[in-house]
Amino acid sequence: MQRYLLNRIGQAVLVLWAAFTIAFVLLQALPGDALLIKYQNPDMGLSPAEIADIRNSYGADTPLFLQYLNSLAGFLTGNLGYSVQAGVPVVDQLAANVPSTLALAGLGFLAAVILATAIAFLASLAPFAWLRNAIESLPSLLVSVPVFWLGIVLIQVFSFRLKLIPVINPPEALGLILPVATLAVPISAPLAQVLIRSIDDVRTQPFVAVARSRGGSNAWVLSHHVARNAVLPALTIAGVLLGELIGGAVVTETVFGRNGVGQLTQQAVNNQDAAVLQAVVVLAAAAFVLVNLAVDLLYPVLDPRLKQKTGALT
Amino acid sequence: MIFPRPVRAVSAGVAALALATILAACGGAETAKQADGGVPVTGGTLVYLEQQAHTNLYPPSGGFYPNGGILNQITDKLTFQDPETLKIEPWLAESWTSNPELTQYTFKLRSGVTFSDGTPVDAAAVARNFDTYGLGNKALNQPVSEVINNYDHSEVVDPLTVRFHFKKSSPGFLQGTATIGSGIVSISTLDRKFDELGDARNIIGSGPFTVASEVLGKELVLEARKDYNWGPATAKHQGRAYLDTVKIVVTPEDSVRTGSLLAGQGDLIRQVQAYDEKQVEGQNFTIHAPGTRGVNDSIVFRPDNALVSDVRVRQALLKATDTHEVVDTIFSENYPVATSVLAKDAQGYVDLSDKLRHDQDKAKQLLDEAGWKVGADGIRTKDGAQLSLTIYESLPQPQNKAVLQLVAQQWQKVGVKLNVLAGDSGSKTVDSLDPEETPVSVAMVGRADPDVIKSQFYPKNRDALLQLGGSSQKVKRFVDERLNALLEAETARTDPQQRLKDVADIQNHLIDQALVIPIFEEPQVFASAPYLHGLSFEAVGRPSLYGVWLNKG
Repeated sequence: MQRYLLNRIGQAVLVLWAAFTIAFVLLQALPGDALLIKYQNPDMGLSPAEIADIRNSYGADTPLFLQYLNSLAGFLTGNLGYSVQAGVPVVDQLAANVPSTLALAGLGFLAAVILATAIAFLASLAPFAWLRNAIESLPSLLVSVPVFWLGIVLIQVFSFRLKLIPVINPPEALGLILPVATLAVPISAPLAQVLIRSIDDVRTQPFVAVARSRGGSNAWVLSHHVARNAVLPALTIAGVLLGELIGGAVVTETVFGRNGVGQLTQQAVNNQDAAVLQAVVVLAAAAFVLVNLAVDLLYPVLDPRLKQKTGALT
Repeated sequence: MIFPRPVRAVSAGVAALALATILAACGGAETAKQADGGVPVTGGTLVYLEQQAHTNLYPPSGGFYPNGGILNQITDKLTFQDPETLKIEPWLAESWTSNPELTQYTFKLRSGVTFSDGTPVDAAAVARNFDTYGLGNKALNQPVSEVINNYDHSEVVDPLTVRFHFKKSSPGFLQGTATIGSGIVSISTLDRKFDELGDARNIIGSGPFTVASEVLGKELVLEARKDYNWGPATAKHQGRAYLDTVKIVVTPEDSVRTGSLLAGQGDLIRQVQAYDEKQVEGQNFTIHAPGTRGVNDSIVFRPDNALVSDVRVRQALLKATDTHEVVDTIFSENYPVATSVLAKDAQGYVDLSDKLRHDQDKAKQLLDEAGWKVGADGIRTKDGAQLSLTIYESLPQPQNKAVLQLVAQQWQKVGVKLNVLAGDSGSKTVDSLDPEETPVSVAMVGRADPDVIKSQFYPKNRDALLQLGGSSQKVKRFVDERLNALLEAETARTDPQQRLKDVADIQNHLIDQALVIPIFEEPQVFASAPYLHGLSFEAVGRPSLYGVWLNKG
């Protein structure tokens, strides 16, 4: 187990370094840079000489490899650099945005799981074929709802018409409801689909027939025997959905005017704010590594057979 | 065993969410009451919804509207420009004198004025401000202000008297002291690097409001200074601001911003799209559309590009553009059709509508004369080259994409192709500096002084036409000596009448040479709730919240 963990940590470090390097190279390949975009803006009214001075003081025209080493060294010592556009250290920007995104993404994911489970269970327990079909087709509907549109509709209905939840300056908990719902709907769709499929598969297994023959009701068999076994494929998908979660967060944060990593990234992309993007890429890679590690470690908890296999590896 | 605690915390959170929903539902919605004016009320919080976050609050960077909207509340200026008469009136300076050559200005400061950190607004502080704005500060990366020309140095005459010296006449300086870009800040603010001025909390001014807190890129809270007692001498309201607090919330989505205002969640919003104006007014909310008094929203040519170096081609495109159709189709009456390079209420404006008249036949004739023949696909060609031009959409300009697409249709009718690109900021910035990539571009700038026209076209300033020796290294030939000479003369005239005549000559030159196609006079469009009173705007459309009061009754 220990070696397994060490291995995983080694892999994680490698992934993070690769993400950092690739991001650095790609950002350099883009036309223009953050300094150009900010200071060439005619609204700044700067002369070419002044712009050259500013570039100089940022060390923008030092050799690329040196810049790479500098920023890598910075990352290793916790100095993530300076956001050219916002004029504040990147660390401050992350501190202002990460908690909000964690709350949004975490709750959004949780809501998506609840919604997906509800859909899958309802589909499995539906007494009529037509009802079952109707519920089973829900995920295809949900996955095709544009996040942007859903957000606007929710705001129009719940905030502007019914006046239940303010969009501007809502209390923190209240303000999360609509964005979480917006984010959860499209994420829940693939989860529900996989869950429905795997419940169907597990149901054909002999042990289910045994449970049923002992007189278990549909719901009892589903919750006590099938669900636990059906959850593994859904869990795998859940790890992959992180990317979608980030994508959804960008749109949700923009529509609701929330601060968060999503809108931070969008602005940074717009302004080619390299230091910010660099930090976001590494952060996202770290999140991916962590989530996938968590999923891998969760498997044996859910399925004891897998525990023995990991045990054999150590 | 690792999981139960977070799970419990989360379920507690969900319960809290549910409870909060119920409580909010019981609270009921606020109803906006019809305005009745009356006696101003002190107190309350104004919620102001902004479209974009501020970037840098170094006062000369106040040209960007979100920056100016904040700076106008937290900094005062030496002088105040009446937005109606454009007269310059006393503010932090009680009086001023200048020598006949306009190379020296002496200001006598009001006594007892302090910055919000307690330090005095005295001659030394004011001198340091203008030394920085006039010359820049290389060590701290602080750039020169575009509203100050020919600056040389300051002189502290006595604690409340400061004199500024100029290398040559600087007729625009007095007005320059009244602009957003000349907001007076404390020495401690000027000691910071340019970069650090992106954090609003670092800006210490003497204005009626101070920055209380900031959530980066999202929200800014301003608080009224209770001891404020130095508003512009002629202002109706004196003493502290009526409001206690101003909350500036960045709300990028247009429909959410407008919807929030109408639903009573905001009191004032900036940037109302023309198509939303009817809905806003229909519900008894007020639209404010102060003009920006400067160079109109225009399409400018980069004559360094061979496709548009022939004046007949530019002239033809000017004739092919139907600005009335643009304004009638896309905008409202708050967006007047341009009748010159400058807006009607700008100083030195001359009416050139005759020269700007739409004339498709004339356009075709000019293109024929210039040797551009219509090809098989309807696009004109000459020596194997197609008359196909590329322009980038300008995001800060209202509905710019729609405007450019309509112009593209109009140009199509005379056989010219206009490709409208959205483009990421990187490509846009790089390409906009290259006349080969972008032979045409969008430009606009506001300032209530004739110098605005120099800001826009002079190669050492914004260089909208891209001249040799200006902001772009890519320019090979194009220089307009006559234009530059006129611009230099205008900023150094001592006779105000002669200066206005120069400005008229510049406008005529720009249109005769068809270097600019003015489209419309760009306003800043705000909307406010019926219970909001006392809102005013400085001369180029930044809001002043000093006299605002709320009567929510």
